[in-house]
Amino acid sequence: MNSPAIRIRNLTKDFSVGIRGVKLRAVDDLCLDVSKNEIFGLLGPNGSGKSTTIKIILGLLKASSGDCEIFGQPSMRVSARKSVGFLPEAPYFYRYLTGRELVRYYARICMIDRSEIDDSVDDVIELVGMTEAANRRVGTYSKGMFQRIGLAQSLVHDPDLVILDEPTAGVDPLGSAAIAEIVRELKHRGKTILLSSHLLAQIEGLCDRVAILHRGKLIREGRIEELVEEGDTDSLVVQGLSVEGRIAVENAIKAQGGLLTRVEKPRLSLDAYFLREVHQREAEHEEIINKSIE
Amino acid sequence: MMNIISSFTRIRLIAGTTFLEAVRQKFFSSILLISVALVGSSAFLQQFDFGTGELKFIVDFGFGALLFFGSILSITATAQLFFNEIENRTALTLLAKPVHKIEFLTGKFLGVLILLFCFTSVITLVLSIILFWREISLIQRIGDDLSLEGSLIRYSDVFLFGFLQWMKFGILSAITLFVASFSNTNLYTIIVSFFVLVICQLQYIARDVYSLMEAGWERFLVMLLGLVFPNFQIFNIGDQLVFNANSVIPAATIIQVSAYALIYCASFVLLAQVNFHRREI
Repeated sequence: MNSPAIRIRNLTKDFSVGIRGVKLRAVDDLCLDVSKNEIFGLLGPNGSGKSTTIKIILGLLKASSGDCEIFGQPSMRVSARKSVGFLPEAPYFYRYLTGRELVRYYARICMIDRSEIDDSVDDVIELVGMTEAANRRVGTYSKGMFQRIGLAQSLVHDPDLVILDEPTAGVDPLGSAAIAEIVRELKHRGKTILLSSHLLAQIEGLCDRVAILHRGKLIREGRIEELVEEGDTDSLVVQGLSVEGRIAVENAIKAQGGLLTRVEKPRLSLDAYFLREVHQREAEHEEIINKSIE
Repeated sequence: MMNIISSFTRIRLIAGTTFLEAVRQKFFSSILLISVALVGSSAFLQQFDFGTGELKFIVDFGFGALLFFGSILSITATAQLFFNEIENRTALTLLAKPVHKIEFLTGKFLGVLILLFCFTSVITLVLSIILFWREISLIQRIGDDLSLEGSLIRYSDVFLFGFLQWMKFGILSAITLFVASFSNTNLYTIIVSFFVLVICQLQYIARDVYSLMEAGWERFLVMLLGLVFPNFQIFNIGDQLVFNANSVIPAATIIQVSAYALIYCASFVLLAQVNFHRREI
């Protein structure tokens, strides 16, 4: 049982286009391994083959050539999907069902034992933070709630591999941060997560490893820090340094054979800044309310 | 054995959700209301001068409404429910679970079949109520002349006709599912399915031609067409029986017609599966 969560070898997918059946290559000789219990990001511009790759992993599309395995089982086998949860991009669910009914429906589709269904449903609803809204109709949900209930349906059968296609598309930064937190919690629970997203800042803070696809080909793969580090440079973050002190540091660097190439103020990402400010305001607001109650 | 039970459970769940989704659509309630109103109004659409003629008019009107709106519902509901799942990506979330594509298709088909059963039952019931009301009224008004003949209408035949129409709608729904399995748009599916409906209604012509032709490839071709497209006239056998007390349809005929419908339904759903298996979702 040492097989990786996902193992892709020489995967190629061609689509026939038009009456003459001209071949369009969506995925080109892709080789990829996703290890167990890692958060793996699949990146690439539109049309780079991310969604096609995900569909092949899920067994929804048959590869033209090559192999794809999930925990050692060929992905085309329906039984392989017992260990997979999937949230598609911009999902739509049966609007007349309540959130709880929807998750319960998917739980029953996955043949979860009747005695365990209620607990499983309650657990995932709590995990995605939808307990309060669980008895409301899905049709009344906001975009962020839609994504979270979608996440709940993908997790209800306790899969070992969770595939999320653009999980934060159209969701506000607070909702995105909440989803990112759920993804971290899933990793903490031992799950493997494969996610594709255009929000690179979020991927950067979340994923252990990423793969970049372009026109169906894998162009880069590795740990984020390895991919984005700038060659043999180092950065020192210093606080309270005087002008004289800075000159002394520059001279010391020179004396050691180094070269100071750039001096800049460390910056927060806009995401982090936004979340910090909003959380601060939320805390102040709650404090005011608490005081007024007292 | 467990696999088969699981498979049936999943099909039942998908069918149940499909049915619920269809029932809550405005399209279904509109078609049902229009049909009920039409059948209900048939009693007021003619002069009440002519005993049995009035009832015959109501029966023809009711059966016509059932046939017309039932066909529309079979085609549009199947196409709509299938493409809703594809376009809204609920098919993705379902098929990403341990669900076979044939289970998905069968569930969709059975969901529509339940919907059509409800529709047919309601229309047949309303028609029977209207007929009963008019029959009582006519017997009271015209009296002895009519009562000498015993009951004017055999109500079991009204329901039998409804049952046969339901099976016909089932075939039509299976054909629509088959067309949807390779088509890219809802509109294309609906148009092609309506063409097939017309062909199936007129299919007896091909059978007549076939019986008159000499052996050869043309005869074989016409015979093949006669086999590929089901003959919908077979399901109209109850039409003439409602007023004819001496003629009862043998149970064997009903079983044969039911088997005929089942074979066509199963064949078209399996053909749909062949296409759907290769289809990108």
